[in-house]
Amino acid sequence: MSRRDALGRALREVEIPLPGGAEERGLRVVEAAFAERTSGGSELRGAMTPKTSERLGGRPLPRLALSLGLAALLAVLVLSPAGAAVRSWVDEVLTAPTPRPEPTLGEIPGGGRLLIQSAAGPWVVQPDGSRRLLGDYEEATWSPRGLYVAVAEGRTLSAVEPDGTPHWSSTAPARVSDPRWAPFGTRIAYRAGRTLRVIAGDGTEDQLVAGSSAPIAPSWSPLGDPTLAYVSGAGALRLVNSESLVDLAAAPALDDVAEIEWGAGGKSILEASHGALRLREVQPRKLPPRPSIAVTHSLPVPAGATVADAALAPKRETVAAVLTNWRNHGTRSSIVVYGPGEAKPRRLLTVPGSLGEVAWSPDGRKLLVTWPAVNEWLFLPLGRGRESAVANISRAFAPGGRAASFPRVDGWCCRR
Amino acid sequence: MGSESGANEQKLVREAQAGSSAAMAELYSLHWRRAYRAAYLVVHDAAAAEDVAQDAFLAAVDALDRFDLRRPFAPWLHRIVVNRALDWARREALRRRVDGAESVFEPLPPPEEVGGEMIAALKDLPAEQRAVVVLRHLLEYTPGEIASMLDLPRGTVNSRLRRGLDRLRETAELDAVGEERR
Repeated sequence: MSRRDALGRALREVEIPLPGGAEERGLRVVEAAFAERTSGGSELRGAMTPKTSERLGGRPLPRLALSLGLAALLAVLVLSPAGAAVRSWVDEVLTAPTPRPEPTLGEIPGGGRLLIQSAAGPWVVQPDGSRRLLGDYEEATWSPRGLYVAVAEGRTLSAVEPDGTPHWSSTAPARVSDPRWAPFGTRIAYRAGRTLRVIAGDGTEDQLVAGSSAPIAPSWSPLGDPTLAYVSGAGALRLVNSESLVDLAAAPALDDVAEIEWGAGGKSILEASHGALRLREVQPRKLPPRPSIAVTHSLPVPAGATVADAALAPKRETVAAVLTNWRNHGTRSSIVVYGPGEAKPRRLLTVPGSLGEVAWSPDGRKLLVTWPAVNEWLFLPLGRGRESAVANISRAFAPGGRAASFPRVDGWCCRR
Repeated sequence: MGSESGANEQKLVREAQAGSSAAMAELYSLHWRRAYRAAYLVVHDAAAAEDVAQDAFLAAVDALDRFDLRRPFAPWLHRIVVNRALDWARREALRRRVDGAESVFEPLPPPEEVGGEMIAALKDLPAEQRAVVVLRHLLEYTPGEIASMLDLPRGTVNSRLRRGLDRLRETAELDAVGEERR
């Protein structure tokens, strides 16, 4: 063997860490990209994006929660000391009475305007409850002040006014999903196939930011800088400057992370998976402004519970979560709130069955919680105030009043 | 690469250009592990290496129509892999200088029982030296080919290689490496 072969053999044979499933994961991404190249998107559509009917079931978390096995739940129940320590605040609470629902959607408790995604497309709901279908789009997101809505359909990303008037459209290289308008208003991040892209708020300057991203919506820094958080295809939480394209920081994301959200103060990023919630501390740097991802705070999830959805409050680093417990006598769901610095979450409500999503009102004083099993929305006050409920939600977002699947909440926007 | 395997690869590229997803998958299977290994040995971060390898294949898919069938596929792919890995390593080094010593990464530790010293020795090299060592000794390109891949003068490649091997020689397992150059 030659001398040089000794080094070559060492490099070929040295054991290196190989993330489980990495090769297969990459192959799926490459196959999807290849299908996109050869078919102009039709194969990608089938392979990578849930059908509309599935999407209307909500974001990925509820599906993840439902798929968790009973054995895993029991194991967590027995083995997790942290879970055991907080078990009581869900287990020992009796199911609370829920408010009598209003038969139809009237004035929105908490004010603001809602963006609701139905099988027919996104609807804008005005503060008085009146609503307008924007068109045949699959996803929608508010601009920061609610002057526009970015909507996605197939490979097209568009900006429309809340009355449906179109402003611009842009065709992406692959199917568009998860658009998110930056808080400073001049950029929209979105996923095209598996890639992450950013386009200017006027529909120009579209550019690739990352070649591979997990199927999770990115989240903008709230501090007015062009920093974007996303989860890479390899499962890392990454921060990138969307203008210079410089990678700023990275850290392993939660296993099976299903949602990320950057907190209003810019100091933390919420990560949620079916079994865990945690806040990653983000440390801004002065020269130059490069943030880093540092300390992690796990939020206690009771043993045996799964996270159906979670959301950060608009002004404080308070997290609201929908937790679901499977029990011998049936499923129960709770809405809990994790306040900053509080050791234990506060339970707002427990109901039989499964709750869906949770969204904060623009002023952070109310929560909208969806309850698909009984076709209702619940509005829960954080402080003083009255709980309220609205029935017949599916029908409210079905053109012509036909019965339809339960709609998804895509945003609760700012007051005008 | 032998002429037979080269011809087979050329056939796969031609079929992929014509739209065969099976041919693309076979090209991927033939090259992914080597691409990942090369990326890892430059970046020393498993998640980043996975991203680099995946991005390189996505770039290959994007550029497939423009690929010159008279040229071999592997060097083209390896050029993308190593350049992207270098970009990543440089950005990470810059970020660490700016942010201080605190690392935000929690890379998997290198296995201790096999090759731990090798990984540690390689990791101690500057990224530019790691890249040329990986291209020369793992992927077996000539200094001239490496110069072309990294867009560097050949003398620079030789000097980076020499410095890298000098430092690697200090690792017990690799004493022979230094002797190679004498």
